[in-house]
Amino acid sequence: MRNIVLINASPKINEPSASAFLVNLVGSYIEEANTNKNFINVRQSTTRHKTQDDFAAISQADAVIIVFPLYVFCLPGLLMRYLEDYHKFYMEHGMASSHPKVYAIVNCGFPEPGINLEAVRVIKSFSHHVKAHFRFGILIGGGGMLLGVKDAPFMKKTFGKLNDAFATIAQDIENDDLKSIEDISIAMNFPRRLYLIMGNRGWPALARKNGLKKRDLYKRPYR
Amino acid sequence: MKAAIIADKDCQTDLFQQLHKLVVMFLNNAGLVTEEIFIGRDDLAFCKGCFGCWIKKPGECVINDMMAQVNRNFINSDVVIYLSPVVFGQFSANIKNALDRWIPNMLPFFETRPDGSTMHPSRYDTHPQSIIIGYGDGLSEDDVQLFIDITKKHRTNTEVLIYQGADQDITETLGKIELRMVGGYL
Repeated sequence: MRNIVLINASPKINEPSASAFLVNLVGSYIEEANTNKNFINVRQSTTRHKTQDDFAAISQADAVIIVFPLYVFCLPGLLMRYLEDYHKFYMEHGMASSHPKVYAIVNCGFPEPGINLEAVRVIKSFSHHVKAHFRFGILIGGGGMLLGVKDAPFMKKTFGKLNDAFATIAQDIENDDLKSIEDISIAMNFPRRLYLIMGNRGWPALARKNGLKKRDLYKRPYR
Repeated sequence: MKAAIIADKDCQTDLFQQLHKLVVMFLNNAGLVTEEIFIGRDDLAFCKGCFGCWIKKPGECVINDMMAQVNRNFINSDVVIYLSPVVFGQFSANIKNALDRWIPNMLPFFETRPDGSTMHPSRYDTHPQSIIIGYGDGLSEDDVQLFIDITKKHRTNTEVLIYQGADQDITETLGKIELRMVGGYL
């Protein structure tokens, strides 16, 4: 029996998140037969005080897939706390399975997927500190539009790339070798300029729903 | 002139104590009035990605804890120095939490910087000179480089230093940084 742990590290509370969507999508590619899939939501694991049970599951995993949004150019504080705490658990208990494979899937609101690279490198460093095999990362740009337009015809190409990337993870988990695989970068199939314009127009519309005017968005409360 | 030191309350190793002493002495000698903020595990809630600081209470985090005071101090200081343990090549969770919840000081809009990269503009015309000092014993070269890259590849007007016990290097490097508010890109 193969143990696969899929970690959703979105800090959002009761809101739709790209990470939740992506963790389910990549999970659908993992072979069902002879596999035990364990989904962990970091926010819930923390608030429901389930961390010790979940850390035990991670320590017994053959593969760990960590999905998260980029926060200020690296991991969200919530995920960083979780990994720090897991590291302490590891130092006390060790890893039950030997050298699990680790994968990172990072999405950011900026259109350029390459901005996620340092976050992937942090997961690589974490893997090194817990004696796991970091395999590769999937860097996704323009994640802000992923949920809103996922069914639009122009997203077909993007989803083709996502599906290929997730199938590569699933295949790599099955493989016994540790042949090097490059990180995979995926940008939305959408013009960057238009993405920025649409993003910039969206904020005043959201503010209006909260009874604010466009000029309120520029408030400077601390000076 | 005012300075703020933002440090991790839970990682006060001997190395930290040495660094902290150096930094406080440096700021005092430079004539800055320094406020210190120590952030521990239970001091700040995690950012929940709600964007309330952009579209509900622009410029302020909607979570009611000490971060409002941290952000007020930040934006009214001429210099802010973060002292962070280097953990997996990144900021510690306590410091990263403070950085995640610093985003009220930015505007939600996208802007394109001269190098073609995308960023959010600063909410204020000027912001403090930010200096990040990562510390740790026996850090690997990879983790040191990653700690530098996380900020230097993506931010302008922010200095990154690494401290592993070389007092003179830190003091000399700090001495070369202009201690005043800066404008322009974040």
